[in-house]
Amino acid sequence: MLLSNDVRVVAVLFAAVVAASGQAQPDLQGMYTRSGVVGLEAQPPENPIDPSGKNPLSVSNRGDGLGPYPGIFGQGGTVLRAGQARQQRRTGIVDPEDRKLPWKPEEDAKRRDFLLHMNPAADLRHVELNARCALPGLFQGEDGNNPYQFLQPPGAVVILYDYNHTSRVIHLDGRPHVGPDIRLFMGDSIGHWEGNTLIVDTTNFNGRIAYSREIPYLSDQLHTVERFTIADANTIDYEVTIDDPVLFTKPWKVAGYFTRVPKGVESLEFACAEGSQTLVNIFGKPPERR
Amino acid sequence: MSRVRSIIACGVLLSAAVLPQSVRRTSDGKPDLNGIWQALNTAAWDIQDHTGQLGVPPGQGVVEGNAIPYQPWAAAKKKENFTRRAVADPTEANCFLPGVPRANYMPHPFEIVQTPKTIAIAYEFAHALRSIPMDGSPHPDGLPDTWMGDSRGRWEGDTLVVDVNSFNDQTWFDHAGNFHSDALHVVERYTLSNADHISYEATVEDPKVFTRPWKMSMPLYRRLDKNAKLLEYECVFYQQEEKFKNAPFK
Repeated sequence: MLLSNDVRVVAVLFAAVVAASGQAQPDLQGMYTRSGVVGLEAQPPENPIDPSGKNPLSVSNRGDGLGPYPGIFGQGGTVLRAGQARQQRRTGIVDPEDRKLPWKPEEDAKRRDFLLHMNPAADLRHVELNARCALPGLFQGEDGNNPYQFLQPPGAVVILYDYNHTSRVIHLDGRPHVGPDIRLFMGDSIGHWEGNTLIVDTTNFNGRIAYSREIPYLSDQLHTVERFTIADANTIDYEVTIDDPVLFTKPWKVAGYFTRVPKGVESLEFACAEGSQTLVNIFGKPPERR
Repeated sequence: MSRVRSIIACGVLLSAAVLPQSVRRTSDGKPDLNGIWQALNTAAWDIQDHTGQLGVPPGQGVVEGNAIPYQPWAAAKKKENFTRRAVADPTEANCFLPGVPRANYMPHPFEIVQTPKTIAIAYEFAHALRSIPMDGSPHPDGLPDTWMGDSRGRWEGDTLVVDVNSFNDQTWFDHAGNFHSDALHVVERYTLSNADHISYEATVEDPKVFTRPWKMSMPLYRRLDKNAKLLEYECVFYQQEEKFKNAPFK
């Protein structure tokens, strides 16, 4: 009698420790860079942002040869990591297969018209959100450079972006989404694990975030489902389904991946608004407040 | 089995000696600070005793002894800051990152994410973020000045101690103009007094501005609201929407 009670106590304590420590989750903690997510469709609109490549106001006129249309798309991503072979993984639009996004024709026309008013920006609404130092949403946190740190406290997966000191807390406790009147740049994310895959459902977007420079906004009806799959000790495969019934006739999917960065890499402060003169440079100084 | 039971009992007794039993511990035996927290005071307006004014709730200060040991030039500068606060406060007037410790007593919640190797603090205000290495690493040499500082954490018994430096001279401690230089060094102490309250202390040292180190302290309260969640207060964005709504201006 006494013995079985003890066993029960120990078992309960053990379960509590596992639950409290988050060890019930597969471990993907660490610092990674992302690849392949910010890509382009097969038939992008003719470069509307930087027609000459010489516009002094151009956000893409960076002098590094990287225009708004980097050539990574559809070629398979490559990443070279110390001691690791070059690897080929799925990147970019993976559904539909021809990578032509299922735009509603009238919404595609609106988007193309919107792009034509972005540089120089006709008004505040047409300024790229990244240039305004707003939260980037799920896609514009940058591929390649600014790393992402994954943490797993009990009951959640937390992603810290180096980019613009952004963070996402993805609760795994089965809570519902927040109410429909709460709109968010980063959306409201809830998640669960299926084997080695973290599945994250996100709603409550605010209708302002962009997917990329060519898709300058998504609607507030956007609903995403992301799949983070632990592929090996250094790699997380990523796939996101974009369901935006306002802009598209059906959902589409993008794939990418996260690769662990060398040990010792830490995030540095990405202060954005604090030094930014972007809006004054574009529009002139606003009248003084009285 | 009775040995197992004594070991468990012993462990419980040991923790009870320091912290109330209501305090949960993490898998590595540390007090569990995970959750959403918020200060319930008026330090964001003024860290010292102050009378109410239009738009400023009255409050008793959080500074130990109330006086801040400014050097004479700095006391004059603080007064000047106070008169210009409506436009000069980097955080309230310009939405810039609030620095440390001010981020902890803005009238917004923040979330502590605790793991053995890293503790992160995500703030609702301006989505400020700190990632605090817990691996014993020192402050790196040659870091540029920053708004939120470089934080390194360690456990002293059941107290989380965070050492913060590499600040710039741009942030204020409050809307009343209390300020510092780039020589600022802050040591924070987070101690759970029970499951839902953190006793928070910040020791402030800045030999360019103060004649000696000084300290502030306050409780931090756990947000117990059902499904409590950090939302977004995109101060910069809202301010742009107001200031540039009639743009372009030229």
